[in-house]
Amino acid sequence: MALPEPRRRALRQQLEAILGPGAVLSEPEELLVYESDGLTLFRALADFVVFPTSAEQVAEVVKLANREDLPFVARGAGTGLSGGCLPAEGGIVISLMRMNRILEIDYDNQLAVVEPGVVNLHLTWAVAPRGYYYAPDPSSQQACTIGGNVANNSGGPHTLKYGVTTNHVLGLEVVLPDGEIVWLGGRTREALGYDLAGVFVGSEGTFGIATKIVVRILRAPQAVKTVLAVFDRIEQASTAVSTIIARGLVPAAVEMIDQLTIQAVEDAFGCGYPRDAAAALLVEVDGLAVGLDAQAARVAEACRDAGAREVRTARDEAERQLLWKGRKSAFGAYGRVSPAYMVMDGVIPRTKLPYVLARVNEIVAAHGLRVGNVFHAGDGNLHPNILYDPRRPGEEARVLAAGAEIMRLCAEVGGSISGEHGIGLEKADFMPLIFSPADLDVMQRLKRAFNPTGRCNPGKVFPTRKGCGEAGAAAYRPHPLEAKGLAQRF
Amino acid sequence: MVEGRTPEAVVFPGSIDEVRAVVELAAAAGVPVIPWGGGTAAHVGAPPATPRPALVLALGRLNRLLEHEPGDLTATVEAGMTMAALQAALGARGQWLSLDPPDAERATIGGVIAANAAGPRRHLYGTARDLVLGLRIVTADGALVRGGGKVVKNVAGYDVPKLLIGSWGTLGVIVEVTLKLRPRPDEERLVAVPFERLKDAGAAVRAIAGSDLIPAAVELLDAEASATLGLPRPGGGTLVVGFDGFADQVRWQCEELARVVTPLGGRDVLALPADAWGRLARAARDAQPDPAALMKLVVLPAAVAETMEQGAAAARQRGLRSAWSASAGVGVVSAALFAPAGPPAVERVAAVLTEWRRLARAAGGHAVLERAPLAVKSVVPVWDDPGPAGRLMQRIKAELDPRHLFNPGRFVAGI
Repeated sequence: MALPEPRRRALRQQLEAILGPGAVLSEPEELLVYESDGLTLFRALADFVVFPTSAEQVAEVVKLANREDLPFVARGAGTGLSGGCLPAEGGIVISLMRMNRILEIDYDNQLAVVEPGVVNLHLTWAVAPRGYYYAPDPSSQQACTIGGNVANNSGGPHTLKYGVTTNHVLGLEVVLPDGEIVWLGGRTREALGYDLAGVFVGSEGTFGIATKIVVRILRAPQAVKTVLAVFDRIEQASTAVSTIIARGLVPAAVEMIDQLTIQAVEDAFGCGYPRDAAAALLVEVDGLAVGLDAQAARVAEACRDAGAREVRTARDEAERQLLWKGRKSAFGAYGRVSPAYMVMDGVIPRTKLPYVLARVNEIVAAHGLRVGNVFHAGDGNLHPNILYDPRRPGEEARVLAAGAEIMRLCAEVGGSISGEHGIGLEKADFMPLIFSPADLDVMQRLKRAFNPTGRCNPGKVFPTRKGCGEAGAAAYRPHPLEAKGLAQRF
Repeated sequence: MVEGRTPEAVVFPGSIDEVRAVVELAAAAGVPVIPWGGGTAAHVGAPPATPRPALVLALGRLNRLLEHEPGDLTATVEAGMTMAALQAALGARGQWLSLDPPDAERATIGGVIAANAAGPRRHLYGTARDLVLGLRIVTADGALVRGGGKVVKNVAGYDVPKLLIGSWGTLGVIVEVTLKLRPRPDEERLVAVPFERLKDAGAAVRAIAGSDLIPAAVELLDAEASATLGLPRPGGGTLVVGFDGFADQVRWQCEELARVVTPLGGRDVLALPADAWGRLARAARDAQPDPAALMKLVVLPAAVAETMEQGAAAARQRGLRSAWSASAGVGVVSAALFAPAGPPAVERVAAVLTEWRRLARAAGGHAVLERAPLAVKSVVPVWDDPGPAGRLMQRIKAELDPRHLFNPGRFVAGI
């Protein structure tokens, strides 16, 4: 539904009046860059992409959108994996990438104030010289922004011990969907009244646009030990996870990597994982130096008791970094074994891991597809990556069907359909798997309190179709430019 | 008694369905409902502007541990179970909920969550917002609603549990909670370091935060509050630090603590008995019998010691005694004000509390008047003004409880 040309031109002028020159995109080929996030199955074109540099500019754009009855959506680095930052039908994409300053670091109170476009890892770099770090560490942390992390309540490997984004956000300056600028929470550890900052984090851009974020920074641990355990059977690795936890150990991270993934990673980067292993566990313990060797030994013993054929501890920081590189670049490595993949994000009680992982592999195989698993095993947060070729007719539909079955499986065992990637567009129709109409009604009311007109990131989080599990049919439509032969999909 | 008046009725439902039936009945009759756990925080809240007949809904019979799967480090429990009973049941299987609010024998898990209550271990383990995975509530229209889930990581849907934590019963009746657990530490130790000057103890808190130590608790007590722990009355105050973990870690940390605090004026590192943990959160209020008022001041951590000193001075100037304690590393300060009984003191008490609130705001935070006679509450607001965010809170209240059924008028912004 393209805007009529005169209206488009008039709106562009108004946006430029707010933002100045060079901060508004409206040409189709420019907009194309912003038509999807990291989940390329879904795409949609905005009418405008704008690049504000202040909360006031964001507020003015939001007010304009309201006056003109246009939907709007905030966007960070676009690394999201659920279609959460996709434009609705036209409207304005508000990119926060030019609001990327670290405004303040307060070591005495162990907090930092950042703009939403600050790249996650850059904050850690900024505070590392003083021995601090920002704990949430999504695998995309070299690119993803803290504003995007707030929207999705992002996690990462080390959330097992240190918690997810919400546990590290103290307060936010927010442009509400009506354009008002308010603070939710602040710098203190307890806010006054309802925990609005807590509710805002993870609201997937539907409650407003964060323009300043107060986050906690933590002292880097005195010492770290990383253990690699290698297994001949995947059930052994799954069992080892529960064994470690049952022995009263609280590792900083417990990550699992299966054979397909190991081979892809080794082909791409050569990180030192044995190619013939059915699965490997990467377990990290951190904290005080005293007693850490003993903890690592207890982890190793738990893995051996679960059947590990080999357990070794990274000898130095270089080897540790290499092992983590293998884990964190797994998604990129899939590119070597498949033209495309779709990452799932279910959560299950960790004691159900052996059963669920076996079922996941069966489900995907039954759809004639391959799956690589690399995930936060300690949290029970699965990431089955279903490999496919988008050029083969019907394959995407099978990917979505397999994905739907995996979500149902997670729900059946008492889990969740998203651990850290968010519901977005992708999983909106699956919400009834874990929430009743009454549950969803309370969420709708909460949304109305923040976003009464619904113009702020419409079409996300809530199911749109009747029934459940019929999603996917409308996932891919040829893009207008693609249809005209002006662009093609890779 | 709630805000000086006796409720018309108290009901004790024995099931979630009965809770729903009671809420529906009350809603139909237009009678406000006051959800009630152990009653340990019933004194917190603004007196309603226009008192109406009310129904107390006591959750004490909903007191079962429903699920505990040690391998998942999660448990699901009914809201009326006391903290002590919950910890005993979890402890029998080597685990615990890392939340230690005062009055554990009476405080219920539902009440603790509604009040966002915590204790000294919040320094390391956080508060309910870091530990509640999901909950079930009965809403104002009698619906049973689930927020969050039962797994340790979950971003599906909005974080409804965050909204209920610290909502003081104004949005719904919490009936069931799923919690994240931890393995019980092998060893715990609590030590006290007396300081001649409170200011130096404050510097020690910052030094600890910047060291390799990982304490479970960092509490700062003024001289008055120190006495409740049976400590010799120090000149300035006492820094109390708790450690947990494996035995060698606890031992190393106690030694390292001495190295960190001695150059800053810490005179000694004294071992405290295990039962002192439970007295820390009440140290200020227990310093004298019958405090005239209790106030919580939430400030930036670096401002704690100065806030305590200035607050005590403000009381002294008006001829009143006060006692102070703080979870110093997180910036949550508890103050108790003592005064002779009778009307003449009301004015002085109110003046001191107003000054304390000013100090909290100047230190980047806010204050909650947790307990005071009605005469004082009528002069000093219980809650600070939340500013523009207050309108958002009112809109949330209007969406979830449009007829103000739950605990009307007692929370911030007239909620």
